[in-house]
Amino acid sequence: MFATEFPPLSHIVNWPGFGGTEGQWYEFNKIVLVYVFAILMISVFFFVASRKKALVPTGTQNLAEIAVDFIEEGIVMDTMGEPGKKYSPFLLSLFLFVWFTNIFGIIPVIQMPASARIALPLFLALLAYFVYHVSGMIEHGPIKYFKHALVPPGVPAALLLLVVPIEFISKFLVQPFSHTVRLFANMLAGHILLVTFGVLTAALIGTGVLTTVVGLLPLVALIFFTLFEVLVAFLQAYVFTLLTGVYINAAISHEH
Amino acid sequence: MKRFKLLLLALGITVVAVFGMTSAASAEGDVPHASEACIHILEDGGTIDDCQAAPNQLLPATNELIWGAVAFAVVFGVLWKLGMPAIKAGMAARSDKIKADLDAAESERNEASEILAQYQAQLADARTESARIIEEARQAADDVRANLQAKAEADIAELRARATADIESAKVQAVADLRGEVTALAIGAAEQVVGRNLDAETNAALVEAYINQVGANS
Repeated sequence: MFATEFPPLSHIVNWPGFGGTEGQWYEFNKIVLVYVFAILMISVFFFVASRKKALVPTGTQNLAEIAVDFIEEGIVMDTMGEPGKKYSPFLLSLFLFVWFTNIFGIIPVIQMPASARIALPLFLALLAYFVYHVSGMIEHGPIKYFKHALVPPGVPAALLLLVVPIEFISKFLVQPFSHTVRLFANMLAGHILLVTFGVLTAALIGTGVLTTVVGLLPLVALIFFTLFEVLVAFLQAYVFTLLTGVYINAAISHEH
Repeated sequence: MKRFKLLLLALGITVVAVFGMTSAASAEGDVPHASEACIHILEDGGTIDDCQAAPNQLLPATNELIWGAVAFAVVFGVLWKLGMPAIKAGMAARSDKIKADLDAAESERNEASEILAQYQAQLADARTESARIIEEARQAADDVRANLQAKAEADIAELRARATADIESAKVQAVADLRGEVTALAIGAAEQVVGRNLDAETNAALVEAYINQVGANS
């Protein structure tokens, strides 16, 4: 009765290429389609928002201003203060791109968050890694920056032998990995959860009275987790962007 | 009503999402994509274990990395050069307008305060002036009253003096008249007495009768 078969992981996250591009370096699959949709949605959104420039903003312009304000006041000013404003376009792009690619996890027909594949989180985390280390080196100079990053002030010289390698592993090796995995794992877990309840619901409902009644439970869970994923999509985009801001601040800051 | 519509919309999206997910899942269950892939693996000399081996999710797909980088670059370019400056310009224009309005309001408020102070000063001057005028009028009225009173008193005194003089004159006149009368009486009585040589008793009676006659005539 419950002999339902859960699809292999490859079937819910690996998507075949379209239009004969399969196997090529430029393979165009569902994930790339999500990227394209995200580009279009963000571009159209900002095009519409900036078209009229009403003094009293309404509709799309209002939303775009809220987004810009949210990044500048809620992330840049909170993590870096005034000197961080030059990073606002980068952080706004990060936030919107991650959010719009995440939200496709619950958009009908697509139902695949691009961040549930490691490529995008890894690329964005490496880009952030590059940005904050280069910014730190520009701000302090390369040698001073490494000292700033690896030698916490007030640590006795005897402990530096232990602390410096820990700081190096933490800031130069683990940080980009944790930054990547935090986003990737959360989105993948959410996607697997939705597929699990989707498969259960599809397998149970309509196959008999009892199974249909039992099938209502995963259906309710599916509804709940679908709504929950709306929150997760936003939250993960926010956390990813906030951490990028925190890392940039740690790199360019003159205080420890 | 708006909340109800939003709730209805959310419910609609959820239902579509849920049934999309279930149908996609069931479709994946029905279509033997895995079996097809497995057949290829077996044909290439692989084993069932190879078919069931989960792909390493920690290895990024090259195409997704490249497209992801391109997509992010496009988004960053759009927001950096077009979207954000336009939105920021709109926000700055609004801030400038609000600041200009506030400055204008502040300036007008200061101007109004100055005008109010001027009005208040003028009002205070007017009050002082009116008080002065009232005081002067009262003073003038007091003077007029005092003058009139003094004049009235002088008139009264004059009238009184005149009346007193008149009375005195009348009295003198009356006394003089009386004296003349008495003299005439005395003369008359003396004539009577002289005219008739009578005894004392008769003289007295004559005098008294004369006096009575005079009293009856006067």
